[in-house]
Amino acid sequence: MDIDDVLRTHVQELRRGTVVIASLVALRRPGYGYGLLQSLGDHGFAVDANTLYPLLRRLEDQGLLTSDWNTEESRPRKIYRTSEAGGSVLARLLDELAAIDTSVHGLIEGDPA
Amino acid sequence: MTTLTDRYVYATSRSVPSGRRDEIAAELRASIADMVEARTADGASADDAEREVLTGLGDPRSLAAQYADRPRQLIGPAYYDTWLGLMTLLVPLVPAVVATIVAVVGVVDDAPFGTIVGDVVGALIGTAVQVAFWTTLTFAVLDRLVPEPPIGEWDVSSLPEVPGHREITLADTGPSIAFLVLAVAFLPWQHFRSWVEDAGGDRVPLLDPDLWASWLPVVVVLLLMEIGLEVAKYRAGRWTVGHAVVNAVLAIGFAAVVVPLLLGERLLNPELVQRYTWLGDHLDTVMTASAVGVVLVGLWEIGDAFWRATRRTGSSAA
Repeated sequence: MDIDDVLRTHVQELRRGTVVIASLVALRRPGYGYGLLQSLGDHGFAVDANTLYPLLRRLEDQGLLTSDWNTEESRPRKIYRTSEAGGSVLARLLDELAAIDTSVHGLIEGDPA
Repeated sequence: MTTLTDRYVYATSRSVPSGRRDEIAAELRASIADMVEARTADGASADDAEREVLTGLGDPRSLAAQYADRPRQLIGPAYYDTWLGLMTLLVPLVPAVVATIVAVVGVVDDAPFGTIVGDVVGALIGTAVQVAFWTTLTFAVLDRLVPEPPIGEWDVSSLPEVPGHREITLADTGPSIAFLVLAVAFLPWQHFRSWVEDAGGDRVPLLDPDLWASWLPVVVVLLLMEIGLEVAKYRAGRWTVGHAVVNAVLAIGFAAVVVPLLLGERLLNPELVQRYTWLGDHLDTVMTASAVGVVLVGLWEIGDAFWRATRRTGSSAA
């Protein structure tokens, strides 16, 4: 495996770990599958459709998202939104993310604490 | 005529639990339509767009598995190492033992050499396939039904011995296994090629032939398991408490089968007893003595195994 492949697998791992945070943040405003895919892509979170769609269902099953069918437009769409529980989980996750960032910078600066 | 999208949505939703099937299908349809629309807006033809989008979504079975959150593996990490260990032990061992028996039976039946070779090869392949299949199937089922393995946590005392510090060497294990294999082979041999002949010149089996239908297969299984234990002991290099426990179970099992047969005078072939009058006259003495012998040897074996497993070794200092 050359270094680019190695890098790619690690970046993939990193992205995989943060796509949930990104989705919960984006869905604080109601959104649907493809719209979210676009939105994440525009902000540098390139996710595969076949990863995102099942992920949304799973987050809904976990109670972090609520959903509703929008039948007003010509194409009925399932609209997701971050729930209250999702909101508090998101706040915790963002804290964790910040803590990780602090730890890494601490390590970089050689701070033993 | 159904479109590619129809077929894709059908292929995905049919492998999804039925409760959510319709909703998943509807959502997927909408998402696909959105993606196709985005591409046609960029100038692609409707057909090309549809093809690209569906190709990008990938195999509907993979997508369905993601929706169902199913494990996409036969045997997961929890059971994999145990499965692999058991396979590497059983797949060489059991066919070898069975092939030996087949060879002995073939020789005993005076079968032509070519037939014996054919039977042995057939037995090797057939037994290997059966062992591999049933072991794998059992673990695949276990992996799904019992997510948390009931196997105890790994413990330092089950570490194998470093070569050079072995307490159990090949010189111990080799003869033990050879003896057990001969014991297994003895059973068909005494049936077909006993040295005792009756009045008509036919061979008289030593053990009651009726036992083949009941207890002799159990004895064969116990002997095979003892072979397995010998191999496990060799690979660990020393007796552990686990080995001692298995050894005790097998010894008790063996005694539980053989002692009632001896005391009930059902072990030996009745024809043999008739043939040798001294045996017939003293049958209960012989049988009782043998039963006592089996029990004493069994008790000694159990005690010895536990003693070896629990004593401290002086030479290999911790």
